[in-house]
Amino acid sequence: MTIAWQDEQKRLTPDDVQSVTFPLSRLGRRGFDEDHVRVFLQEVERELVTLLNEKVSLFNEVERLRRRIIAGMKSGGNGDGVLFGREDAHVHAVRILSNAQLTADRYVADAQAYSHRLTEEARSRRDEILSEAQQHADMVLEEAQSRAREAALATLNAPPVAPQMEADRSALRAELAYLRTFGEVYRTHLRAYTEGMLRSITEWERSEAGAIEQASAEAGGTFRPGEL
Amino acid sequence: VDALRLKDSFARIAMHGDEVPLFFYSDLFIKHPEVREMFPISMKAQRDHLVVALGQIISQVDRADELAAFLEGLGRDHRKFGAVAEHYDNVGDSLLETVAHFSGDAWTPELAADWLDAYSVIAGIMIRAATKDEATRPASWRGTILSCERKAFDISVLRVRPEPRLDFLPGQSVAIESPARPRLWRYYSVANAPREDGTLEFHVRLIDGGAVSMALTYLQTAGDTIRLGPPVGVLTLDTTSGRDILMVAGSTGLAPLKAMTEQLAAGPERPKVHLFFCARTAEALYDLTAMNKLAAEHDWLTVVPVTTADPRFDGERGSVPDVVMRAGSWTGHDAYLAGPTEMVRETSARLISAGTPRGQIHVEDFGWSEP
Repeated sequence: MTIAWQDEQKRLTPDDVQSVTFPLSRLGRRGFDEDHVRVFLQEVERELVTLLNEKVSLFNEVERLRRRIIAGMKSGGNGDGVLFGREDAHVHAVRILSNAQLTADRYVADAQAYSHRLTEEARSRRDEILSEAQQHADMVLEEAQSRAREAALATLNAPPVAPQMEADRSALRAELAYLRTFGEVYRTHLRAYTEGMLRSITEWERSEAGAIEQASAEAGGTFRPGEL
Repeated sequence: VDALRLKDSFARIAMHGDEVPLFFYSDLFIKHPEVREMFPISMKAQRDHLVVALGQIISQVDRADELAAFLEGLGRDHRKFGAVAEHYDNVGDSLLETVAHFSGDAWTPELAADWLDAYSVIAGIMIRAATKDEATRPASWRGTILSCERKAFDISVLRVRPEPRLDFLPGQSVAIESPARPRLWRYYSVANAPREDGTLEFHVRLIDGGAVSMALTYLQTAGDTIRLGPPVGVLTLDTTSGRDILMVAGSTGLAPLKAMTEQLAAGPERPKVHLFFCARTAEALYDLTAMNKLAAEHDWLTVVPVTTADPRFDGERGSVPDVVMRAGSWTGHDAYLAGPTEMVRETSARLISAGTPRGQIHVEDFGWSEP
């Protein structure tokens, strides 16, 4: 929304720093680590905001002093020792409120960025888990099928007892062997996989709890994720 | 009013960037603390809105007709925020104070008169439009949440009963404010044609870090009340063209198109409708069952599910414009597009270059209306 305004001035804004994206380097070429770049950009943005805020304060202060001098001149003095006027008080109040507002804006933006990061991570982790599970399921299915096929073949190839009836019976036995082996292999894999998944969820929970503790420590202990 | 002098003055104070709206709001809130209640906690977006709107007004200050339409919309829009005539005086005082502060030595009685005159005209148009609007509809509607049903990992369907009855055209949107996020309004399309019981459905996609979507999805339950603004938007059905219809919906962009489909199902005109429902994965095609049911009931409706990043999906796959253009020739169709900005822009461009007249392509445009 600030674009039109800033375009005229052609100046770098904190928003620009926050929203900048770089194209990925071509395959086989070396590039910077994305996380490092992002962390650095965050620092740059913070610094820029601080500088801009300081600039606001200084501008207001200069403006206040200028008026004071003019007021002093008008009242016949040489600009020194002019009393703190009503207008001064108002400009002061405006400055204090403006700073408080900028602080509030910053807190809201930080909380939003934090919640953005959390949900984004959760989303990509979810996609990973889903695709991993899908691949694993495919693999298990394939293996179970091939093992069961082998078992069935083995039963079929067993030496025949009586020609006609026995042929039917051995076909049935072969199918039974196929199904039994298939089920067995599938169950075993599923159990192993589910256990592995539970372990990784526990790990994930632990690391997230750690991250939240750390974040609330950084925010001076006043931050609760529920407040987002 | 000397338009040139005014523009020049605005350009000079605009050099101070964010400091200008910051000073303006602080001045306003110190003089009239009760006005602060009308704004959200973070004022960042608000300051940007003010600057953009002010820039727009000043740039057109010598073209009264164009400006009037914009200001009338702005005046009506401000009703849901609780703005009344008295506030306009307060704003005028603080605006003049701000301009004076940043003009420094350039502030003269003539310039002050220019700003005061210009503001009086602006406020007058806004107030008159708001007063006229008052006669026909409330400033906002109270909405009771009847149910909130999760349809996909990140998409919920909200059923709401507005009070009083809220009349709208299928395809239009209303701004929603959640009590958990006071003074933050977001537009959502109504996902149904007007119903006898007056209830509205909204398809809410959880945006990463999105303050309002998160509140609507997780913090609100049946029985809670939200506030709804008046219906806005130009994405509505042209029922007189006689042409067949192409609809392309990306994710929750389905909502306005579903509302139009319901409108067609209930009305006398039955053009052939070809609706592409697109999402990244099969799971994200959250309302496909209902759409397939509609298609089974009406032979004039064809629903084609499309996924853009799901190699396992047994159906149309690929980029949305590619799939749409592959499926047929749409030069004689009215096209209605809703969804992610990028998808809408690309599909629209491809349709135009393939020969569909620009006037037959309908997309949402809120114009200058602020949520």
